[in-house]
Amino acid sequence: MADEKLNIDVLTLDSVQCAACGYMMESIAALPGDVQEMIVYKEWSIKNKSGIGKFLELKGRVLPTICIESDLVFESIIPQYEELIDEMAKRAPSPEMKERLLSLREKGFEFDKIQENLAKAGSGMSTRVDS
Amino acid sequence: MAKQMLIDAYRGKRTDKAPWVPYAGVHCAFLINEPADKMLKDPELLAKGVVNAAKRYKADGIPLVFDLSVEANSVGCELKWWPDNVPSVSNHPCSDKTPEAAGLQMPTKESGRWPVLYEAARIAKPQLEEMDCALMGLFCGPLTLASHLAGVRIFTDVYKNKDFAADVLAFAGKVCAKAAGFYAEMGCDIVANVDPVASQIKPETFREYVTPNSQEANKVIHDAGLTSSFFICGDCTKVLEEVCKIGTHGFAIDEQLNLNFVRDLARKYGVGFGGNLKLTLALSLGLLSPREDAIVSLAAGGQHGYTFAPG
Repeated sequence: MADEKLNIDVLTLDSVQCAACGYMMESIAALPGDVQEMIVYKEWSIKNKSGIGKFLELKGRVLPTICIESDLVFESIIPQYEELIDEMAKRAPSPEMKERLLSLREKGFEFDKIQENLAKAGSGMSTRVDS
Repeated sequence: MAKQMLIDAYRGKRTDKAPWVPYAGVHCAFLINEPADKMLKDPELLAKGVVNAAKRYKADGIPLVFDLSVEANSVGCELKWWPDNVPSVSNHPCSDKTPEAAGLQMPTKESGRWPVLYEAARIAKPQLEEMDCALMGLFCGPLTLASHLAGVRIFTDVYKNKDFAADVLAFAGKVCAKAAGFYAEMGCDIVANVDPVASQIKPETFREYVTPNSQEANKVIHDAGLTSSFFICGDCTKVLEEVCKIGTHGFAIDEQLNLNFVRDLARKYGVGFGGNLKLTLALSLGLLSPREDAIVSLAAGGQHGYTFAPG
């Protein structure tokens, strides 16, 4: 259980330039610390080749999109906190993680570590054609 | 270059050909070989970049800046600067309190980066006039500004904490009206409400929060005798009818929409529409031919209320 992580990919144009993409990224980066321990996530900007590759691999249709465990879950809709928790819980790799996620349903977003979390996800760092 | 033709198209009128607006933004800095952050902080460089881009691309109109952090910064949000991009908002003063409790005040033209913009407009405006190119003022729309102020929680609050959301959106709407007034005072010919995240909500949420909190800015623009628009990004299919009804003379959309669908809806409501040269697929990545993409856009848009622009 300790090593199991839920994979989240955020398909964006560019989370710095595009506010919608930025707040899609923030919806993951502002998840509380207890949730952060259970997830790994990354921004995939369509401005570079690896981002296009991920967009095609996941069969993306619109930008921005939040994918959880390779499912296109939030397409051009910034999720509410509880919606995010519910969709993550549905795709949790173990019953223990599902239960733990659902226990955090009332916790709400936290804003004290957003910049640190965004940096870990590579947010805004790979938004050039040559990056 | 033809300022009046652009204004006519923005107002949904017929034109001899489609006018053209490059949303050059921080690309203006690239064209004069300067970092984006340096240009945006220096009024002389900003004016130089904008005038140069207008001249190079033979623009009928050009925005002074395309930077949605200006309003948030002028009421207290901090910025993270980038050398090749617009600044991003790095804190949310209303993440746990209302604007009133956070002590936020309406911006004045001395707040934040407004003095830089006033000075840049003063330098650029006569040069653009000489080229018959419209100066455009783009302000951050109410929902995007509310997101900057309160963070991503606002998208939960619009359903779960309606009083809080209403407070933040009402404050944001008043800041929008102030910003619209500043751009009018700078001499902008067209003033646009740019609310990209408004595409990421349901139509009923748009009607409840975006439409009412855009009206004060609309009035400021229209009372000044200027032309208004509403810019939205992303896949805004579900709210596009609301966009048509928001009360601006027209609107602009991004590359993800079908321009035939957009054109038909704009005609139905008698408003102008702009787009949607594929910024990413054609201009940035070259996966599509920009020339062929332009021909497709021009054919779909026609000469009735259509402005050719990147999407």
